[in-house]
Amino acid sequence: MLPALLNYLRGARQTRGPVLPDLMDVNRGLPTLTSSPCIHNEGCTTCADGCVSDAISLSTEDTAMVTLDLGKCLACGHCTHACPTGTIAASRITRTAVRQRSNLVLTAGVTSPPAATNMREMFRNSLVVRYVSTGDNATDMEVNACMNPLFDASRFGIQFTASPRFADALLIGGPVPLAMHEPLRATFEAMAHPRLVIAAGMQAVSGGLFTGGYTKADGVGKVLQPDIWIPGNPPHPWMIIHGLLLAMGHPLAFANQLDP
Amino acid sequence: MSDQPSALISPIPLENVPILQLRARLKTELSDGNRLGLLTAMSSPNGSQIISLLVQTLSGGVRVLISQLPHDAASYASLTPDIPQAHWFEREINDMWGIRPLGHPRLKSLVIHDTYPDNLFPLAQQVSPALMRKRNNRAAYRFSVVQGNGVYEVPVGPVHAGIIEPGHFRFSCLGEVIENLEIRLGYVHRGVEERLTNCDWKAMRHVVEAASSDTAAANAVAHAQAIESLAGVQAPPDIQRLRSACVEIERAACHIGDLGGICNDLGFGAGSAAFAVLRGTVLGIAEMITGSRFMTGVIVPLSHRNMPAKPLCTAAANRLHECRKQLQSTIPLLLQNSSAIERMEGMGVMKHSLAQDFGLVGPAGRASGIDYDVRKVFRLPEYDCMEWQTPNLYDGDVLARAKVRATEATTALDLASVMLASVTPVSAPESVVELPADSAGVGIVEAWRGELIHLILTNSDGVVARYKIKDPSFNNWTALAVAARGNLLSDFPLCNKSFGLSYSGTDL
Repeated sequence: MLPALLNYLRGARQTRGPVLPDLMDVNRGLPTLTSSPCIHNEGCTTCADGCVSDAISLSTEDTAMVTLDLGKCLACGHCTHACPTGTIAASRITRTAVRQRSNLVLTAGVTSPPAATNMREMFRNSLVVRYVSTGDNATDMEVNACMNPLFDASRFGIQFTASPRFADALLIGGPVPLAMHEPLRATFEAMAHPRLVIAAGMQAVSGGLFTGGYTKADGVGKVLQPDIWIPGNPPHPWMIIHGLLLAMGHPLAFANQLDP
Repeated sequence: MSDQPSALISPIPLENVPILQLRARLKTELSDGNRLGLLTAMSSPNGSQIISLLVQTLSGGVRVLISQLPHDAASYASLTPDIPQAHWFEREINDMWGIRPLGHPRLKSLVIHDTYPDNLFPLAQQVSPALMRKRNNRAAYRFSVVQGNGVYEVPVGPVHAGIIEPGHFRFSCLGEVIENLEIRLGYVHRGVEERLTNCDWKAMRHVVEAASSDTAAANAVAHAQAIESLAGVQAPPDIQRLRSACVEIERAACHIGDLGGICNDLGFGAGSAAFAVLRGTVLGIAEMITGSRFMTGVIVPLSHRNMPAKPLCTAAANRLHECRKQLQSTIPLLLQNSSAIERMEGMGVMKHSLAQDFGLVGPAGRASGIDYDVRKVFRLPEYDCMEWQTPNLYDGDVLARAKVRATEATTALDLASVMLASVTPVSAPESVVELPADSAGVGIVEAWRGELIHLILTNSDGVVARYKIKDPSFNNWTALAVAARGNLLSDFPLCNKSFGLSYSGTDL
């Protein structure tokens, strides 16, 4: 015990800084669209052919166009490897949360329309979060990791609470299957106004590979109206923290992100 | 290719056993030292079939028994009265197929909740939108009632206090002491198995990774094994070694994470923080070799996507070795800490005899004297890379489970480090696999929670007709309910964490 304790005390400061860094180069990250032109008009469908979650759609109206829905993306890395023109490339940014579901849908050469300004300055210095898991336990683990000494979300005034009564925001992971519809709604109803809803991870955003089935696991949006959408499968702790900071209207959340 | 590991002998032997003889047959098999790996059902043109998978724990083999039910028969004599392990399997068969095990001692829904329409048997029929719109008259779930002076009930969940999956715990207490606990799951039933029979086989690997996404690597390996055993092919040894290294890294990360969770539930923040940091290091190594903290998207049948280069494997092996040293100096914070030991000792005891009856697997089983480890039984060649033991304790309490998990985390780091150091990148094209008709494929992996089985059965057209996943937690939930008895209600979170079971893996 004593050597263990000494070892523990000798440990250097673990908390990561600077905040919201890009992921390590080894991480395959999420795909993004670049300015390199797509050659779908020459018959190339490589990216969409290998995308099992239908996150990519192609069109030849106007010019060749590829549309990429990060809310459905499994982050399997198929498209970023397969794209012959580099139109789809890996992005390792962690500032990926958005306020509008439509902003997770990227279209080559098209800038997203400006998001409605709906800043909740109210939670600027403190956000108390109630997390509800609905069937994606990797996201649970990453949410847990947000509070560990490495990511230390509490330094931004973020804390997790057991009671929805104390919560400002409801954070949800998993595709929300039928048996969780009512418990999720009840948790939301128990929260005092004003309250925010945050969908964490592609399963929560779109239901992922489970969508359209008899269990109605079609994502949070079918039960509640999320204010913040976080992509990723599962989202990296930094991506979750970015979503929470965005919910707070925290200045740290506003650089290089997908929201215009 | 090289010497075939016994788990992958293909084709998997299939044997027809008349349904009336199944109970006696399974009883004999179990007393001969075999294990009931899983029990499920499937549809066939001539009526439903009950499928039993037996694991030969002595010789390391797998057999599948098929029992045809008469056409239109919607019931059979329950196996549970003689074979307690069948308890939850039969409840699941009743839910998913509408086949009633007659004489089952406690037949209730397991995964299909009252919110679903009547007569919905998701795997026995094509579920139409019209059926889903039908009014629901399902009988409400009834919990067992404990009667007596002063007994009161504490309902907990489905939404739990911590950052954990949903499930309902119904405690019947006398004072602060738990007299009985009934666990009701099914809240995260997402229709995984239905999805697996209705999707392209290239999509399957992603669905299995999401079946219990904290066990993505082990599920992907079991899937790859099952497809390979079905097709009668094998991945090159270097790829198998890399897969096993991934499973070991996952084991280390999850056990370390849960040791931190145990510290947290003890109210020991410093320990919790120390383990959390270590878990982060292990995930960083996973990221290094696979590009993902949860090692998703790389383990595929026959091949390995984006195989890491030799220097990267060597670097990862070295970092794992470093990490092992840190773990060794962190574990005493919990296991040589008298105030922590005092809380864990004698709490949540699972007796050996009951563990045997319930067919416990994984670390929870090994803490109760069940010496069963898939890695030892099926002797995959990559596990001969070093001398290693599985821990085996008899106390069956929270402390024993914590000790087993600490030892296994350390061993896992060793194994992963040695395996990775000897991985040489190979290119193995991911060729399209033709699946044979009327055959079975099995994948069996010692996941971090224990024995994980994937069973694939094809129909006469060579199409996947049934994909069954048996998560290790499926065997262990009953043990948690029994182990909680006689303990303080406020100690339950600690007891629960020591088992660390998967809700989504059970609900599927």
